[in-house]
Amino acid sequence: MKKPELLAPAGDLERLKIAFIYGADAVYIGGAFNLRANADNFKLEEIEKGVEYAHSLNKKVYVTVNIAMHNKEYEKIENYLKQLDKINVDAIIVSDPAIIKLAKSTNLQIHLSTQASTLNKEATEFWKKEGVTRIVLARECTKEDIEDIKKNVDIELETFIHGAMCASYSGRCVLSNYLTNRDSNRGGCSQICRWDFDLYNENNHIKGEKPFTFCTKDLSMAKYIPNLIDLGIDSLKIEGRMRSIYYIATVVKVYRILIDNYCHNPKNYEYNLKYEDILRRVANRDSVAQFFDGNYGKDVQYYNGRQEITNQDFLGLILDYDENTKLAKLQQRNYFKKGDKVEIFGPDKSFEFTINEIYDEDKNPIEIVRHPKQIVYLKINQKVSVNDMMKIS
Amino acid sequence: MNKIAVIINNIESALEIKDYTDAFFLPIKDLSINYPNTFTLEEIKKLKKINKEIFIILNKNIHNNELEKLKETLNKIEKLNINGIIFYDIAIVNLKQKLNLKTPLVWHQEHLTTNYGTVNYWYEKGITSAYLSSELTKREIDEIKKHTKAKIFINVFGYIPMFTSKRHLVQNYLDTFNLKTKNNNNKIIKEGKNYIINDTKEGTTVYSNYILNPKEKDLTADYLVFNSNFIDNKDFKEVLINYNKEKNNFPKETGFLYKETIYKVK
Repeated sequence: MKKPELLAPAGDLERLKIAFIYGADAVYIGGAFNLRANADNFKLEEIEKGVEYAHSLNKKVYVTVNIAMHNKEYEKIENYLKQLDKINVDAIIVSDPAIIKLAKSTNLQIHLSTQASTLNKEATEFWKKEGVTRIVLARECTKEDIEDIKKNVDIELETFIHGAMCASYSGRCVLSNYLTNRDSNRGGCSQICRWDFDLYNENNHIKGEKPFTFCTKDLSMAKYIPNLIDLGIDSLKIEGRMRSIYYIATVVKVYRILIDNYCHNPKNYEYNLKYEDILRRVANRDSVAQFFDGNYGKDVQYYNGRQEITNQDFLGLILDYDENTKLAKLQQRNYFKKGDKVEIFGPDKSFEFTINEIYDEDKNPIEIVRHPKQIVYLKINQKVSVNDMMKIS
Repeated sequence: MNKIAVIINNIESALEIKDYTDAFFLPIKDLSINYPNTFTLEEIKKLKKINKEIFIILNKNIHNNELEKLKETLNKIEKLNINGIIFYDIAIVNLKQKLNLKTPLVWHQEHLTTNYGTVNYWYEKGITSAYLSSELTKREIDEIKKHTKAKIFINVFGYIPMFTSKRHLVQNYLDTFNLKTKNNNNKIIKEGKNYIINDTKEGTTVYSNYILNPKEKDLTADYLVFNSNFIDNKDFKEVLINYNKEKNNFPKETGFLYKETIYKVK
């Protein structure tokens, strides 16, 4: 059995490190020409640092270069590819085939983005002949589609396992262009699919208990990890380059455990529903498997509009720990106080405790921690490590 | 000189407007999306008799279990001796090579057909025509035309599809809240603007709130495409008749021809 790669998103160097620490085998990041134009994208020197860090751990960095280029981007792209090549990124993720042609003069591996909507073995075969080494499958692929492609074309396959979904076929939505003048296929998507609309049939307002929207539930393939591994998928991808370190740490850790557990002992593998609870809690949105099991009917739609509750579970990030004093230095992320029951989790640990002692930066005792990014010290008897996180129990 | 291509609602309308057009673009039943009216190969065969250029639109995203039907259809199209297949899924490019098909292909990945580098990439693969995205500026279209030998097609009249999904978004809403509609004539409204939403067997399409109608005859393209979907056949015929006079009864709407989209807001 081949253990697939666990591929995580990283919006910046901090999230890149967290993804690796919590168990990702590879990360994908955005540079100059990607579909998250408004994220904190990596500058070339940051990509270089990320690649050096990843390679020191024997892990990989892929750079998304997946916009639908207009002429002006096309005229700049070749030089950018040469620079990525020079700093040894492991692959680029592209959707525009003009980039494939230009990349042939470099050593860059080419992964075809899900934006290219590859759903079948014929298209996969074409791209293989063009030099593509990996296909990021269309999100509409069913289990049977994946099986058929894997059986017929010898190429690496990558599939999304967790995160937000486009309501449309990837690349076939320009709602953002028409309603907000922001180009969705060049990274400007303003998520019109999450807006509410009034639905009319002829002149009759068709009104349910909640307004009409395009919005779908998120994707979660936690339950299907063994199926994906058995299908021979090469890379399992988590969506969310704009997500927090807490989200990345939590989701990566859960999938790391699921993959390792199944690969270690497939015969006795048992799916534990507690992981679904952890994933659900970190996302604030319902998630389902969607197209993989052929279900894209009413149960995958999401009619709660944009009124999602902000996740306040993440209480702080451990910055240091003194084994002699048992004091952990922590950067606050959400309100907490003395007496709260909390959980510490790290890549290989998870335990609960009640907060009994809190000190400010000058080691004066305090009762409440209410300021974002406030530095405090907590007395934690069990050893914790840098980059462990504290959350509501 | 530009050629006029039209997307029709039915075979009868084709006969009505044949004197004002050079080509018909015909979406094919079960293998096209975004067009409310599709045609069978038998209907297309009949239409060939009126001696105009014929292009078949075959723009659905194809799953593995549809490949056999696709192959069969491509082989049948080959015998029709038409002018081209307007395609979206790359499976069609691979099958053209494998089946040694001669029917020319027109690259039309809708919103992704956006630069001359990619037009030329496909040109080198023998795909000598590109049907451009409607989200380009006139300047960008002119640049593409200048930098390629490929024939260029652009939309110049009609509602523009701006969202295509495999999901049945209207039906899912109706099912969720136990609602019913009388027919499939649906629209969604936001901030006073109406958008046609069409939920069919192949999925859901949402169209622009306006009819693209720049009323300009000097656009740089080999084929100017007029789309009659959701528009009365008689009114559409008037548009074609008056095209050279740069006037018609619909409001002028230049879409993105003179409006560049942004994508970085900070």
